[in-house]
Parts: sequence; C-alpha cells; structure tokens
Amino acid sequence: MKLLAITSCPTGIAHTYMAAESLQMAAKAMGIEMKVETRGSVGVENEITLQDINEAHAIIIAAGTNVDREKFQSLAIIDASVQDAIKNPKGLIEQAVSTKKIPTVTTSTITPTVSGKTGAYKHLMTGVSYLIPLVAAGGLIIALSFIFGIEAFKEKGTLAAALMDIGGGAAFALMVPILAGFIAHSIADRPGLVPGLVGGMLASKIGSGFLGGIIAGFLAGYIALWLKNNIKLPKTLEGLKPVLIIPFFSTLIIGILMIYVIGTPVKAIMDVMTEALKGMSSANAGFLGLILGAMMAFDMGGPINKAAYTFGVGLLGSNVFEPMAAIMAAGMTPPLGLALATYIAKKKFTPEEQESGKAAGVMGLSFITEGAIPFAAADPMRVIPSIMVGSAVAGALSMIFSCALRAPHGGIFVLLIPNAVSNLGMYIVAIAAGTIVTAIMLSVLKKNLPSNTTPL
Amino acid sequence: MNIQDLLSPTRVLFNLKANDKHEVINELIDILDADGKLSDREQYKAAVLLREMEFSTGIGMGIAIPHAKDASVKEAALTLGLSHKGVDYESLDGTPAHIFFLIAVPADSNDIHLKVLSYISRKLMHQEVRDRLLAAKTYEDILAAFKD
Repeated sequence: MKLLAITSCPTGIAHTYMAAESLQMAAKAMGIEMKVETRGSVGVENEITLQDINEAHAIIIAAGTNVDREKFQSLAIIDASVQDAIKNPKGLIEQAVSTKKIPTVTTSTITPTVSGKTGAYKHLMTGVSYLIPLVAAGGLIIALSFIFGIEAFKEKGTLAAALMDIGGGAAFALMVPILAGFIAHSIADRPGLVPGLVGGMLASKIGSGFLGGIIAGFLAGYIALWLKNNIKLPKTLEGLKPVLIIPFFSTLIIGILMIYVIGTPVKAIMDVMTEALKGMSSANAGFLGLILGAMMAFDMGGPINKAAYTFGVGLLGSNVFEPMAAIMAAGMTPPLGLALATYIAKKKFTPEEQESGKAAGVMGLSFITEGAIPFAAADPMRVIPSIMVGSAVAGALSMIFSCALRAPHGGIFVLLIPNAVSNLGMYIVAIAAGTIVTAIMLSVLKKNLPSNTTPL
Repeated sequence: MNIQDLLSPTRVLFNLKANDKHEVINELIDILDADGKLSDREQYKAAVLLREMEFSTGIGMGIAIPHAKDASVKEAALTLGLSHKGVDYESLDGTPAHIFFLIAVPADSNDIHLKVLSYISRKLMHQEVRDRLLAAKTYEDILAAFKD
C-alpha cells in the first residue's frame, strides 16, 4: 500500500519539515510506503505526481495553509493539522490505511471532464472553465442593470451605471486576460500565468477578442514552458528564475508578438466575423443557429459541444449576444426532449428510464446537456439524431427571432431576470419547439419494449 | 552551507537559567542580539511572540523552536539553548521542553538558509539526535549530533 501526504505551515521554516519527517519515520516503522510533498518557504519539494495519485490509497493533508484538493478527488483525504502530524503520525497513518479507497469516480458519465483529455483541448477547456464563472457573474450583473431599463446605465451616478461598471467595465474586461492566462497556466503551470494574462490583456486592447486571447494563451504557455525547461542558471541565481527571469522574458516576447505580429490580423478576422454575425440576414442567422444547435446536441458536453459553447461565450465579449441564446436553447432541449418523451411514450421506456427522465428534465431546465447522456449511451442510433434535430430547430428559431442572451449559463433561471434575455416570449417558443420535436421524433423512432420486460 | 555557519559557538547555551516560556525567549534573544544579528530587538521579539500565538512552537518530545522571519533580522542565525531541568513551554504534548532552537530569518532570506533549517527540523524528529543534543558538553558535540 502507498500513502501520500502534504505538509505545509504558515511560515514554512520548520514545522513543514518536522511533520514530513515525522510521517516518514512512522510510515517506515510501520512498513508502509509513503511520499511526502513539503510546501515550505523553499517552495514545493518532492512534488506528488499524477502517477503517485494513481498508485496511492489515501492522502494525509497536514497543512495550516490552503491546499487545492481537486487534484486528489480520487483519493480518501485525511485532514490534519501540522501539529497532529508531528505529534501523532502513527494515528494518522492508521486512519489513512483503514479508510476505504474511493472507487474511481466515473465522472465521464455526467461531465466528460477535462481531466481525461490531453493536449491543446485540455488547455483550452481549462481556460474556459475559469472563464465561465467570470462571464456568468459579469453577464448577470449587466442583466441586473437592464432591470432599470435597457439604456438606464447611460445616466451617470445611478445604480444601473454602477452595475454596468461592475459587470461590463470590470468583469467582462477581465474575460480575455483570464482565458489566456489560464490556458497558459494549464500549459506551463505557474510561470505561464503572467505572460498569459498580459498577452490576453493585449489581445483585448488591440481588439482581437477571444480568438486573439486563445492564441495569446497558447503562445504564452509554450514560451514560458520552453524558458522554464531551457534556461540554465548557476545555483545562486536559480531563485531569480521563477520571480524575475521567466516572467520578464516570456512577457516581453508574448507582448511583442501580440502587438507586431498576431494582434492586427486576428483583429481583422474578429471584425469580419463580428460584422458578419451582427449584419446577418435572418436566413443566414437561422442557418448558423441550426449548425450551432446540432453541434450542442451531437456529443452532449463533449468537444463538439464545447466548441460551439466556447464560440458563443467568446462572442459575448464582442457584444454579440444572439449565438449565445441559440446555444443555450439548443443545450437545454436534449434532456428536456428526452424527459418529455419518457412522459408521452411511457411504453417505450423502462421504469428506470422514466425515473431518469425526471432527472433529465431538471438538468435540461438548468442547461446541463449532459443529462441526455444516459439515454444516448443506451440507444445512440435513435437518441442522438432525435436530439440533434430538436436542438437544431431550437437554435435556428432562436436566431431567427433574434433572441439575445447576455449570460453564458443559467438555463431557465436566467430567464427570470428581466432583460437578461431579449425577445423572451419567442425564446421560450424556440426552446419548447425544440423539446417537442425531439420528443416526437424519439417516440416515433423508438420501438415498444418487449412485453416481458414491462412490469406493468 | 553548514550548520556551523548558522550556529556559532557563541550562540550555544548549555544551561539556560530561564524558568518559564517568556524567560526562555528573552534569554535566547539576548544572546542573538548581543551577537549583532538583529537590527531591532523588540521588533524581532514581537514577531516571535506573534508566531507563538498562532500555536505554540513547543512541538513536544522536549523540543521548542521559537522562530520568526522578519525584517529586523540582519542575517539568518540560530541560537541553541539547553535546559536540563526543563521548562514549561505550553508544548503540544504537555511535557516540559529541554532543547530550544531560536530561529531568526531575514524577511528576504535566500533558499540556502531555509534548506539548512529544513534539514535541522527534520533531524530534530529523530530520538537519537535529541538524545545526543541533550548529552552534549561542547560545541563540537552539538555539530556531531547533526552530522550523521
């Protein structure tokens, strides 16, 4: 059996190491393999790797400071203070040994999470995952400002103006830098953050929008990673590397690239795209909605879905709100349509499926497309076409009706905020239409259950 | 860098006079200050006491390691005091402390000092190191206790 531990204390001079030694000694005496990561003032030493996590049974976190535990969600976590680890290492180890190992969580059934994916897609999604709450907060606060009337924020000194400042002036201004910063952070770890943020800020200032931000994030990340791996310094100067040398050079390089090389052409692309989207005829808009809608339903939270979603969220930063509305509508209808199908065609679904239909309904209302996955997994050839057609209808109608959505998430709840969705009535029609299309199509395609498996 | 660079012979007290926690801290800081390692004795003492308020650095097993990382420290330095009669240091395990390491680190300390301190901290967790420290009669005995 292998155990892991992290020790850390506020000053990080002595207790961190005493606790580490104490745990290691006790583990050795008990014949247990143990790896202890120390987070002291020297920095992180003996860092726990992904492989360690996979091999380990449990982790003891003996820390007086905050430790990010997301990484260890597959392990049983024993929480302790540094003092506990010094005083009673044996007790902690016994506790860790006796806890049951959490069975590997199959998160993929609910949300095909970032963790399993690798490469560029993972970095992009990490960036997007940091972006979403920011956009949600900003978007909803802007929507609050619209309660006072759609133009109310133009009056200086009013609450509406303050709300617009918070949501639009501050939160939305951080969007592209945060996206770029955390893409770079995902690639190069901590050294990536600074050049990523600065590259993103420049992308934003130049007007190259989220496309520029994504490019800035990737470039900054790989530049920082390269510098981290290739700059060799004498031992005495090594301490300057993370605080001075990498940030300075990586930021300088990405900054110059953004201003002289990348910014302008990407701005041109972005401008063309924004203009095209804004000035789109209703037939073209409907077609875009159709495509985006079908993408949302195709893999229910997978890369295609996320590509459409990222596109919509990114455009919020360029004040284009219609695709976001189409995307959310199309993301809500798959689980909603399935829920409705289990209701109108009871004979074609097992009792278990009827139960999960109710859960899917709730997930649909909350814009969690993944709620459709259990059904799609059981019968992909019938379910996926049905939800794609329904979502395409919802997306197309939403675009044709020029519905606009200023928040990137929220499902039905965001509809309750006045002015967060424009053309609200027709937006609800679009969602309802998509839901009904999916439900009817599935009811027709699905065969009746063989009678011997229907208990009723 | 070695332990002797951080702990000079002048900063080892083989027989502390102090009878309580406060006196121990004072006695050790006096030595440190007399050795010219502090720019502001009171400020450093305040930082040490502040650290003690978080939770006692009397970690049990007869050891206490009062410490502070503060701008009032000119250069990283250790002061070692031994008390054979023992002093109540509000230790985690309730037993009296016999070995006291006062650690002073400048605010902008470099990694090398911190590495030595982490090495010493780890060593102190071993029973035989503590036994050898308590039995030490000379400065050389102290260094030897950490050597192997």
